Amino acid sequence: MRISHKSRLISLLGASALVAATLTIVPAQAAAVGPLCNGASPVQSCQGTTSDGAPYVMMVPANFNGMVALYSHGYRYNIDIPAGIPIVGGYKITNTPEPIPGGNPTVANYFLSQGIAVMGSGFARQGWNLDSAVSTNVELIETFKKKFTTTTKVVAWGSSLGGIITQTLAEKYPTLVDAVAPMCMADNVAAELTMAGDFLWGMKTFFDPTIKAGNYSAGALGNAEALGDIVKVLTVMGKLQAGVASGAWPDTSSPAGKALEKAGIPSRSAILLLGLMAGLPTQSAHFDSVSGPEGALKLSFPLAVSPALAVLENGANAAILAILATQDVELQAGGTVFDNSSTDYAARVADSSVIFNAALSGNTAITAMLGVLAASPRAKATASAKVASLAATTGKINVPTIMMTGVADPITPAGATQRIIDKYTEQYAAEKDAARKAANRSGSYRTPAKKLLAIWSVTPKSWTKFDAAGSPITTAPAAPGTNHCNFTTANLVTVAKLLVTAGSTGSLPINAATFSAVRKSGGLLIDPDFSAPLLKYYGN
Amino acid sequence: MKAFNRRKLVTASAMLAVTALTITTVPAQAFSPKSEVGVSANEIKLGITIPMTGAASPGYNKVPAAMKAYFDYVNANGGVNGRKITLVVKDDQYVPTQAVAKTNELILKDRVFALVSPLGTANNKAVAASVNPAKRGVPVLFVNTGFSGFADVKKYPTTYSLLPSYVMEAKIMAEYIKDNFAGKTIGLVYQDDDFGSDALAGFKTAGVKFATTVGYASGSQSATTAAGWVTKLKAANCDVVILFGVSSATAAGLGTAAALKYAPQWILGSVGGDATTIKAAGVPAGVLYNAVGASFLPSTTDTADEYVSLFSGIYAKAVPGSAFDNNVLVGMNSAFVTVQALQAAGKNPTRKSLIAAINSKGSTFASAGLLPLNYSASSHVGYNGYWFGKYSPTGDLKPDGGKYTLYTTDSGSGAVVKSTYKRPAMPAKGLPN
Repeated sequence: MRISHKSRLISLLGASALVAATLTIVPAQAAAVGPLCNGASPVQSCQGTTSDGAPYVMMVPANFNGMVALYSHGYRYNIDIPAGIPIVGGYKITNTPEPIPGGNPTVANYFLSQGIAVMGSGFARQGWNLDSAVSTNVELIETFKKKFTTTTKVVAWGSSLGGIITQTLAEKYPTLVDAVAPMCMADNVAAELTMAGDFLWGMKTFFDPTIKAGNYSAGALGNAEALGDIVKVLTVMGKLQAGVASGAWPDTSSPAGKALEKAGIPSRSAILLLGLMAGLPTQSAHFDSVSGPEGALKLSFPLAVSPALAVLENGANAAILAILATQDVELQAGGTVFDNSSTDYAARVADSSVIFNAALSGNTAITAMLGVLAASPRAKATASAKVASLAATTGKINVPTIMMTGVADPITPAGATQRIIDKYTEQYAAEKDAARKAANRSGSYRTPAKKLLAIWSVTPKSWTKFDAAGSPITTAPAAPGTNHCNFTTANLVTVAKLLVTAGSTGSLPINAATFSAVRKSGGLLIDPDFSAPLLKYYGN
Repeated sequence: MKAFNRRKLVTASAMLAVTALTITTVPAQAFSPKSEVGVSANEIKLGITIPMTGAASPGYNKVPAAMKAYFDYVNANGGVNGRKITLVVKDDQYVPTQAVAKTNELILKDRVFALVSPLGTANNKAVAASVNPAKRGVPVLFVNTGFSGFADVKKYPTTYSLLPSYVMEAKIMAEYIKDNFAGKTIGLVYQDDDFGSDALAGFKTAGVKFATTVGYASGSQSATTAAGWVTKLKAANCDVVILFGVSSATAAGLGTAAALKYAPQWILGSVGGDATTIKAAGVPAGVLYNAVGASFLPSTTDTADEYVSLFSGIYAKAVPGSAFDNNVLVGMNSAFVTVQALQAAGKNPTRKSLIAAINSKGSTFASAGLLPLNYSASSHVGYNGYWFGKYSPTGDLKPDGGKYTLYTTDSGSGAVVKSTYKRPAMPAKGLPN
């Protein structure tokens, strides 16, 4: 999930004319401290720690109008990662507070120039921290109100894991917030870990049986095992990418995988199947699955190759988090958390195997691959009960809520947002039913106000580019709608404005101006009929 | 604000967000209180996704022009309740993910009233899963595929089949083999997806025993892969080979077999005998000569048929120089049935009234088909049978003995029987009332 970078935050804050504060990481403490404010103008900065030791920052403009926006950051790994590890090497655990998304100065300027304060915590622990983060936020809101007694409105927003933290806050403490905006929201932990686990288990089953894919040891040994898995998975992915054209399987493949190779099934079909069964998008930052280079591959590239490359690109991003989140939740739960002992992978891909039949090399190949998955040893979770006891969203919408998510987000799939939409559809129908019954008694019917607005970050028509030799170009910026929480500053400001309006008025601004603003923001869509597939955990 | 108004506002604004229009740029239209997306006082807008470019496009890319030719003919004669029909064509290149993208454009940007004759099993399944026309209430009329699943009213409540299913085709083909090639060694080449699996299900129901079966992944057909097919078919000593695939597979299979001097009796599935596609693949249409084929429409060379006569005349004027082939006939017939569905939907048609009209009146629609349409509230099955014939040296399919012998069945375990259906006379001038 979205990783916050301390260095970026600091540099951006330094660049902001409105934000004069310099952040200092406050060490975790057992008792609440602060807030200690510097009294600066036009924006004063306050910092402190909540009673759980979570450091926080508040930025309060001199013309504070009574509203504060609480931001919850995304997932941060809960172990240090040595420099030699690909992609994420050099990461150090950090609890630096993040009061605005990524320290974005334009977003900060928007709030502060309106007289709206911003605040955010670095949370007491990293990793999957939904329970503790919600508690931290509750305390932070109370702390702010106590310090700034003219506070009248609290709005909350967050990204990725911060999205579900925000949603959970609104579900459990609706009186504390006036409006919320969960963005690229994560699903509940069981659903996210199922997606992660299915993909890792498939990688292990087909391509490298030495991948642990869970059941990590405690302590340093477990860290080493998880980091070893990252290296192995990324190595396999490198080999799969190298073999995309030839169909060659990695030399580390399992005997069953090698048998599939011998049967003429290309490895690209196998990795695509794993992506489909896990629920990874088949469009990625650089692969749209619709474009082909001019010439002989114009049709066959999007038909047979591009979806596999998209899964590889998405998988590389998702696998690291999948491994580290699995390890983290296992530690919290005291046992293994992935369970595919009764998963029917054939049912999982029943529809998608038709859509991607050519890329999967036909029904016979699909049957053979599914046969291997069906016959392979399954994982049985030992700590399911503990995982079930962790905080989770119900989808209940209590306050005006604006959601924004990418339709091809590989980490927190659009289905996580769709689940909330579906739940709210039921809720709203019940509210209307109750209103009708009340009207039968009173003789006056009033349609209940809608409390959920979903905004989708959508992909362009096509975006894969090819060089003169016909090879895909993978150095361009990720297309809108792809990658994780891939929003522009304009997108974020648009949501911020809607959030502020909803918080101020107590209702969603569903009007022409809103739709115009969303449209002008670029790459966003409001379509009540759009429907994203739910995460596979939910049985689709 | 009442929920109805808000909903309308949300929907309208969402459309604007996608189309990058502003409210003021929406053309002024005399909407009636019951106006519907894609329907104005003067126009009914329909949309189609189909391969217009790329390897799969030859032949299929004639369908939209054929449909437009008939719609223009209707438009020139007053349209449907005074409204002219327009057809927005999107090129999906026969790639499912493209079909999804293009269908989204048709619904959200072009704001079509209904989708009509979208082509391909995988493409239509992709659209159903990703775009979800059923949830949006968008009618998907007369899909250009014989996949039996699309007749499932519960799963695809707004989708209507037109072609007989591939299961029906395989069962009827089995009957034909029993009658004409009893005791012969049979081989099968099939597309290894839902298209082919439908056929396999039909052959299994009919009890056909194959000496060998060769599946190919969609898109993998080529002279190289076809050489492998021939090797297997030869090794199994097949006297009769069924090729149940698209026409590009027929071109690869029959072209390669001819080059390798392998000449079994070929039996082609109904979608695999298109001479236009075969010629576009660089293979002479003559490879089709004497192969057995099947159709549910009259032969395109049957100029005595009133539909063929009318449609070929209309098409010749609309698209001069373009051959009147089975793609054209299929397209014009789909348009003909579509017009009746629109008429039946009422003076101010809505998507709901269109679906209700097909469910209640669709089985009475006139058409060029030599078998009946089977629409009802519980059935979205189109035609239900075939006749068999052989291809001429120029690639035209003609009925055995110059006479259509029609067989009918279902997509289940029902028997294959000769059809007694008598096609009603064509409405005057081919203009349904």
